[in-house]
Parts: sequence; structure tokens; C-alpha cells
Amino acid sequence: MISSPFFPPRRLASAALALLACLAANAAFADLPKVKLFTTGGTIQSKGIHRQQHMEYDASKVSPDELVADLPEMKEFADISYLEISNVGSPSVNTEIQLKLAKAINEWLAQPDSAGAVVTHGTATLEETAYFLNLVVNSDKPVVVVGAMRPFTGVSRDGPFNLMNAVRVAAAPNAVGHGVMILLNDEINAARDTTKGNTNRMDTFVARDVGPLGYADSDQIVFYRKQITRHTKKSEFDVSGLTALPRVDIVYTHQEADRVAIDAFVAAGAKGVILTGRSDAATKDGQAKGVVFVMSDRKGSGRVLESTRMVDRQIITSDNIDPHKARILLRLALTKTSDPKEIQRIFTEY
Amino acid sequence: MKSLSSAALLFCALSLGSLAPAQEIPTYAPLPPAPADASTLPRIVLVSMGGTIASRGAPRSNVTNYGGGVLPRVEPIDWVNAMPELNGVARITVDDQRAPLNRASGTETHEDFHRVSKRLNELAADPTVDGMVVTHGTNTLSEVAYYMTLTVKTNKPIVYVGSQRPWSAMSGDGPRNLYDAFRVAASKDAWGKGVLHSTNNLITPARDVDKTSAYRTHTFKGVDVGAIGFADPDRIVFQRDVVRRHTVNSEFAGQDYPTVPAVEIFYGYREAPGYFIDAAVEHGVKGLIIDGVGAGGATLSQQAAIKRAQEKGVVVVMTARTYGGRVQDTPRRREAKMVPGDNLHPEKARVLLQLALTKTTDLAEIQRIFSEY
Repeated sequence: MISSPFFPPRRLASAALALLACLAANAAFADLPKVKLFTTGGTIQSKGIHRQQHMEYDASKVSPDELVADLPEMKEFADISYLEISNVGSPSVNTEIQLKLAKAINEWLAQPDSAGAVVTHGTATLEETAYFLNLVVNSDKPVVVVGAMRPFTGVSRDGPFNLMNAVRVAAAPNAVGHGVMILLNDEINAARDTTKGNTNRMDTFVARDVGPLGYADSDQIVFYRKQITRHTKKSEFDVSGLTALPRVDIVYTHQEADRVAIDAFVAAGAKGVILTGRSDAATKDGQAKGVVFVMSDRKGSGRVLESTRMVDRQIITSDNIDPHKARILLRLALTKTSDPKEIQRIFTEY
Repeated sequence: MKSLSSAALLFCALSLGSLAPAQEIPTYAPLPPAPADASTLPRIVLVSMGGTIASRGAPRSNVTNYGGGVLPRVEPIDWVNAMPELNGVARITVDDQRAPLNRASGTETHEDFHRVSKRLNELAADPTVDGMVVTHGTNTLSEVAYYMTLTVKTNKPIVYVGSQRPWSAMSGDGPRNLYDAFRVAASKDAWGKGVLHSTNNLITPARDVDKTSAYRTHTFKGVDVGAIGFADPDRIVFQRDVVRRHTVNSEFAGQDYPTVPAVEIFYGYREAPGYFIDAAVEHGVKGLIIDGVGAGGATLSQQAAIKRAQEKGVVVVMTARTYGGRVQDTPRRREAKMVPGDNLHPEKARVLLQLALTKTTDLAEIQRIFSEY
């Protein structure tokens, strides 16, 4: 066993089959909620060359078929279907994939008999896609974005438990109206407030300012908090007619940072720039060309205050939205308006 | 000798008082501008339950050994006089609800909870009151605030506040905490959120806040689920609503509990003996909180004693000494007739069980209560 380099899929499959058989008996009698998996790839769908390989696991990909067959327990909680959107690592997720995903989820959730959606995603940019969906999904039904820190083939892999819990949350009546959620490590986190906070650990996703919404515990799905900021059904953004989004770039600040990066982004055609520190002259020149500037922060916790200094300079403050999510919100805001006052309202409400 | 030095200290402090400000609030900087029309400000009652925020120490760098009757306590009106800018946030009346003999927060009794809950219910019912700020010592602030969120029937903001350093201390956190608590209580967005706690710029519901550090000023945190908003310099911001039942939706609210059944807490640790539990049962307790190891486990000796207690009708709730995470509802726990305490810390589980036992001893009903509050 130990010398076997691969996860023994046949052995697992036969065990799964036995389990499936008894679950199917249950399923036949129960009218289970309909949950669809939208797969995009990531570590949760990656295989390594041996089971102790917890990095550089890019030997091959896990298809949605294989993912579903690997986890028959999902069928205990939901009537599962799936749709493959992509099978890429999260650094490769782009606007095209995000738009395709959002439209597919909207189509699914618009069906009266659907209960919820689960999205598999690589963790590196998972929160960006989750926040994008939080702004453009036009439904109260639960959408849960899930990933794994360890590959499909790894010992002590976290993927199956995360995925099972994601399905449980997507099927849970008390998860309705909570916006798009992120689920790893038993924690139900809000897309808006959650960031990947550690490069390797399984408790990587943290909402540093406001904490999780609840937990996917074995006895029940429990919620302690509800978001106040606007999302999903109450969001004003609509991607149904969009095939692209405006270019928005992020400038990282540091000691002795100069205006070179800002000027270059403006020259490259950016319609918006997310700042993490002031650069007054470059900002002024950019604004003269119609570029919108938003001030976020590199600390990863706390609000950027709406100071008179920022208001005077027509720089929008990002509240406690971190730079990479501020980029997502600004891109969507720019599909509606380029008025700084209106965009400030948007940053205050979402 | 001791009384002589105390008297000398008092003399020093009082004579210094005439030269220097009575607290570390800068007098070299001007007050913030007053609002154009103060008559439209919300009317907020500043209720004092005392605490470090109502204490003075000397010298001003003493942040550990203050109070004790040496220096005069801070009277409720002293806060307003020291920070007249509070009048720019709200129209303030003060209400002294300190325990008799200035009992510190760890030495208050149910009599004090009962009296203050009754008073907060009265104030809540008064149409001329828009909100309440309540000071309290930090040691037991969270369990007192939790009692209030269960027993006060109102939508109006009630904000518990305290400080880690005395009112008079160098870099005292009290003045800004108090100012922020008023800003929170004056916020329309704070309505309907139950009893809140605000210190260190954070706004956290009474159910979920706990003191996590003995001396640091960032002591108050929600261990599992965090703050629901911020008292930031630009404005008061709320980013979360509370799901669990409280105040206006609490079945315990608006009623009078002159006494509550005795409930005691037993800590879990290796070889924790059951005879403490036997002694408590013999003493007449109606409920036990077992603050168990891990996800809520008891020693064999405790388990045997719990069984003996249950045979006499004592209700047993299990919490977890991990101070984070829920004690879950499991078949084994059901079989052992243990009510899971969810993620309540033992001192809060005790408060809830005491109130629950005034209504019922039915385990299913008590379990419902623990999953709803």
C-alpha cells in the first residue's frame, strides 16, 4: 500500500458503490434539494505524483465526473448535478471564466426547483471570484464557493470534507439570503469579508474584521450573523449583457514608491486604479484623463476612512474592502457610472 | 500605618486635582465643534454600574492597583463634566446603578442584575429615552450584558462599555471608549441589534463578546464570531446583523426574576473529581454547567456524579473549555441527557440555564433554548 504511488481509485470506487447503493435507497424516498456543482478547477481538482506531494501537484486534473464519484456522501444531502466551467488553477481564472460562471449560476438559480449552487475553485484567487459572484448573482439561493489546500491525491486532504459541507450549506434552508459564501475548514464565511490569510494551512480563510457567519458542524448548519452590506438579490449589478469588463489595476505602495506604475497603468488604458497609498500628482493627471481612483489599503484589516482629504481629491475610499476586491467592485461600478460620488456610494453600500 | 499612607495618598491626589485635570483628557486641545442644533440629538441615559472606568488611581501610571476606596470614585456626572463633547452626541441624563458599597464587577450578585435589568426595562419603556450607555467593570461585563440582552425588552440601543485602565490613568482607554459608546447608542443603525458592547473601536454583541486578556486594551473580542461593526472616526458602521434571539425577541425579556435557580460550573481537566458535583447537588443546585475538555468531555468520576445528579432532576449542560467552537448535538450526548451548550462560554451558559430553569426542566425545551439564544 505504502509503495503504491497513486490513490487507489478502484478500491475507493467499490466502497463508494456500496455506500451509493444504500444512499440511493434513501434518496428514492426523499425529495432532496437540487444542488448543482459548477467546477472551475484548483487544488481540489488537482493530482500529484504521490500522496505525500503537497506542493507542485500538477500531474493531472480531476474531472467533475471523478470528483462527484469520489464523494457519494453528497447525495445524502442533495440531488447533485454538475457543469464544468473550466479546469484551471485560480491564477488563470479570468473575466471570461467569471462571466461564464456567473451567467450559468444565474440560469440555474432562476429555475424554480433549484436549491443552490456550489463552485469549486482554486484558493489563491477564490475570494475574488466569490466576491464577483456576490455582486452579480441575482438570487437569494445559497451559492457556496469551495476549495482545498491539499490536492485530491494527498494524504489528509481537506477537499472531500469541504465539498460535502459546501453541498450541505447550499442545500440548507437557513443559508438562503446570506449571499455568496466561502466554505473551507468548517467555517461559513462571507465572500465580501474573507481573505486567504495563510499560504499553506487549512484554516487559511479568515474574515479578519468581522469573523465568520456560521459553521458547518456535523449536527447542523448554524448561522450567527447576517450581512448588512448589499449583495446578490439586492445588488444593482447585472452581467447578463456583458462580455468584458473595464480594465482596473492595483498599485502596491511602499517607501519611496513613485508615480511610474500609476502612469504606466493609465497609459495602458486603465479606466480605474486601486491605490494603497497617496500619489497626488499622478492621481491628478490620471483623473484629468477620466481615470477613477480608489484608496484601499495593504494591511488587510480595518476601514479606509472617508476623510475630507480624500473627498476633496475625489479619491474614493474602499471601506474595508481589500485592494483585489476593490478592483472587482470598481470594474462593475464602472459599467454603470464614472461619477466619483456615485462610486463612493457603491463602495459604502457593497 | 496603612491608613496613614492611604490618607496621604488621598491628600496628594486631591491637592494635585486642583492643579492638574482630574483625568488624562488633554486640555491643551480644543473641544470638537458642537452640533448646530443640540435639541434634535437622541436622548441617552448614561447608566453607571461602576467599573474601572469609574475608578481613579494614583499616580497616573498606576493601572493595576487602583480603587479600593482610597481615591474618590468617578460619579456619573463627572464623566459628562470631564468630556462636555458628549453633549454634542446626545442629550444625556445620568442614572447611578452602582452596586451598594461599590461592589466591584466580580462581587456583584443576582440582586444587582435583577435591579439593573428592571431599571433598563423601565428606561426602555420610557418614550423620552432613545438609548442607554451602561458602564461596567470588565471582569464580568460580558455575562452581565448577556443577562440584559436576554431580559430587557426593547429595540433601543443598549451599549455596555468599560475600560482596562482607570478613568484618571495615563493613556486611559476610558474616555474614548465612552465617547464611542455614546456614538454607537446614538446611531439609528444600532436599533434592534440587542445589547451591544463597544470598546477599542469594535462593536460586538453581548452574546459573543468576551474578555480575552487581563490587561491589554484590546481585551474584548468575539472568539468565534467577531465584531458586527466599528466605531470608526469617520462614522459608526455596522456590517452584520445578529441571528440569535435577543431583547425584543427574547421569551425571557420584560419579566422580573427576583431570584433564579442555583447553577454552578465545573471545570474539566485530567482527573477532575466528581465529588465537587455531589457536594453542589447536596447543596441544592438545580443545574450544572460542565466546562468539559475538548469538544465537551467529562472525566469518568465526573460522569458518574453527573448521572447521580440527573437522577435527582438536576439539568446538565456541556460547554467546552477550548473557549472557541460549538459543543455539538450528538447521539451519545443525547443518550447521556447532556444539553449541548452551543458555543456559549460556561458563565454565559450558566446565565441562560438559570433563566431557562425558571420556565421549564424539560430537556428538549432547554435544548431548544440553547440552540435559539
